Amino acid sequence: MNDKNIFNFCKQAGCCDTCSLRYLGLKSPTFYEDIKKSAQRYKDEKTEVLDSEKPPDDSNKETTDDCDSPPPAKKLKPNLCVVCLGILQEETWNDSFNMVKEVLERKKYTSNTFACALSSPIATILREKAMALRLEKEILDYYSNIVTPLKEAWKWSFGTKLAPVIDKKLDSGAVSPLLITFSYDYLDDLQELEILKKIAAPLFESRRQQHKRFATEFTRRVVEQALQNVTVDALKAASESCCMAPVDTAAKCVSVVCTHSPLYLGGRYIKLSRDLPQTPWILSGKRVMPSSVQEIIFQPIADLYGMSEAEAETRLKLIAAGREDVDVRCLGQGRPFAIEITDPQRQLTTEELEKACKLISSTGDVIVRTLVPIVKDDLALLKKGEETKTKTYEAICIKLTCSEFDQIDPNAPITVTDVDLKRINTYRNTPLSNKARIEISQATPIRVLHRRPLLTRIRHIIDVHATKVSAGTYVKEWVHGELGRTRPALAHILGARADLLALDVTAVNLAWPPY
Amino acid sequence: MEYNILQSINLEDLSHFKSFTDRYFSKRYVLNVNGIENNDIMLMFHSNRITLISLAPSHFFFKKTDQYKINFSIGNIDRLTNSVKGKGKKGGQMLTANSVICKIEYDDGTMFAIPCCMKGTLIEVNKELTKNPELLREQPDSNGFIAIMLSSIAISDSTKSELLNHEEYVKTFNS
Repeated sequence: MNDKNIFNFCKQAGCCDTCSLRYLGLKSPTFYEDIKKSAQRYKDEKTEVLDSEKPPDDSNKETTDDCDSPPPAKKLKPNLCVVCLGILQEETWNDSFNMVKEVLERKKYTSNTFACALSSPIATILREKAMALRLEKEILDYYSNIVTPLKEAWKWSFGTKLAPVIDKKLDSGAVSPLLITFSYDYLDDLQELEILKKIAAPLFESRRQQHKRFATEFTRRVVEQALQNVTVDALKAASESCCMAPVDTAAKCVSVVCTHSPLYLGGRYIKLSRDLPQTPWILSGKRVMPSSVQEIIFQPIADLYGMSEAEAETRLKLIAAGREDVDVRCLGQGRPFAIEITDPQRQLTTEELEKACKLISSTGDVIVRTLVPIVKDDLALLKKGEETKTKTYEAICIKLTCSEFDQIDPNAPITVTDVDLKRINTYRNTPLSNKARIEISQATPIRVLHRRPLLTRIRHIIDVHATKVSAGTYVKEWVHGELGRTRPALAHILGARADLLALDVTAVNLAWPPY
Repeated sequence: MEYNILQSINLEDLSHFKSFTDRYFSKRYVLNVNGIENNDIMLMFHSNRITLISLAPSHFFFKKTDQYKINFSIGNIDRLTNSVKGKGKKGGQMLTANSVICKIEYDDGTMFAIPCCMKGTLIEVNKELTKNPELLREQPDSNGFIAIMLSSIAISDSTKSELLNHEEYVKTFNS
């Protein structure tokens, strides 16, 4: 197996330099950063002449080897590669570059690195396989599993040339937050894939029968599947050109999509209103409440990013450590939350975040003291906190009937007695060693029962007086007992009926934000 | 305190003092069910269409002071063993308007059946009534409720609009 032979065999079959290098199995990015230089090493004189057609200066074009391409077209366009359909050929890149520039001018990302991704026509899979099979047949000891994937070679060659054009450094998708995706369309894509129906007839027949499950006829996956055990003879029998017909029109870049990975902000909100839901409350398309904590917090962030109202709805997400009811206030340090910003152009500055907090707080219903940039991993803390954190509540409760412990005339006016207070402050149904004084069992409250399973959960009231309650306790239900579905409730402890008039969360005990 | 809870609500506003069921449920009444006089049933609909079944205050049950037990075994179905799984409340007993939810059995051997008055799935029965049957007499519209059921949106909405609402019910008995 001789590299020069492989390279030149590829060239003669109609491959571009880059694809020919791919078939050599070259996997180091540096080979692809300067294709001309790399190709030079493997070229013999004959192909070298052929390749110099690009600057159409000389007259001695010996096109004898280029059996597939019609000679007259050459002056105008390069020989299009029969494998990559022109995608790897530098001469075709200008359009894509212009498209990226246009998108980036509009979206103005400040990231100084980028990663790029390619969505290539499916026909490239077929063509790549056809060429590989030919090599295996012609060249002793050639194994097609060494072929460098199109995407990789493209990233290294195209990406490297794109970098100076957009003045950003090429980096891997795992590192750079900015991803630029190029989608290529090829005019004859579906038509060329038609022959697979002959080669792998049973596969496509069964897919056709289940057309509801398989909406698209050709997917990358099924094409790869169809080509798995195909032989060069089968391809030859099915297509005159062995699936590598000369390419008339290069695959064309039809879309360039830029996305920046999400950014996260952390903070705590204080809610001062008893008429404000956490998220927009919309019932069968109609607003129940005019605003929400979420909308108040999002407004200045959306403005800083220049998002429209509709855009903010899809690009901003509120992640909070739990929630309180519409009519419950959240005081003290406030409730921990994070905001996820999809496809942000940039990180906001400390000054901007300070200003956003001021704007949020100026509404009077919500106060956010600080907003800080956090990372995605920090969200785990928020979610975990939802299960484990303790909360402190303050409530106004009312005693509705005389207590069974009251030593007074049952017809006298109902008053809260010292005995009541003592019972509340000393009641314990757990062992003394237990941190929590009261253990309750609580059936899923009726108000959420329509969308949650019916379960009976054990919850703990750590202390009453300073009424500290463990996470996930529905406090309102604990006070009135919800028709006996939460027990023992405050009412049971009192030995009288009780209800709740107002509730505040006074502390959500979670260290947040983490910085 | 910076934001005093006592100043956060207007305690003069009586709506704060509504009972749990009056706060969250909307009451509906079915009178003289099965042609039996004062066999009056009360259905309480939560805004999320969860429905509580109980007896209306005008039910003949409240006129009698005899001791009674509540029996949740109907034919060969035991309502007490009803269980539902998951968000979809799968496996709950199916109820039609005529299904008997429970029977009240007096010590003198007489009894009457309580129909559930709406098609739906049984979610839970108030097990506390078996231990403490007096709850039904003392607090029929709160801790003495009989059962919780859930219907489709269509059925709950139409039942709700067809049945007598609280004002109409009060009028019927005041005239």
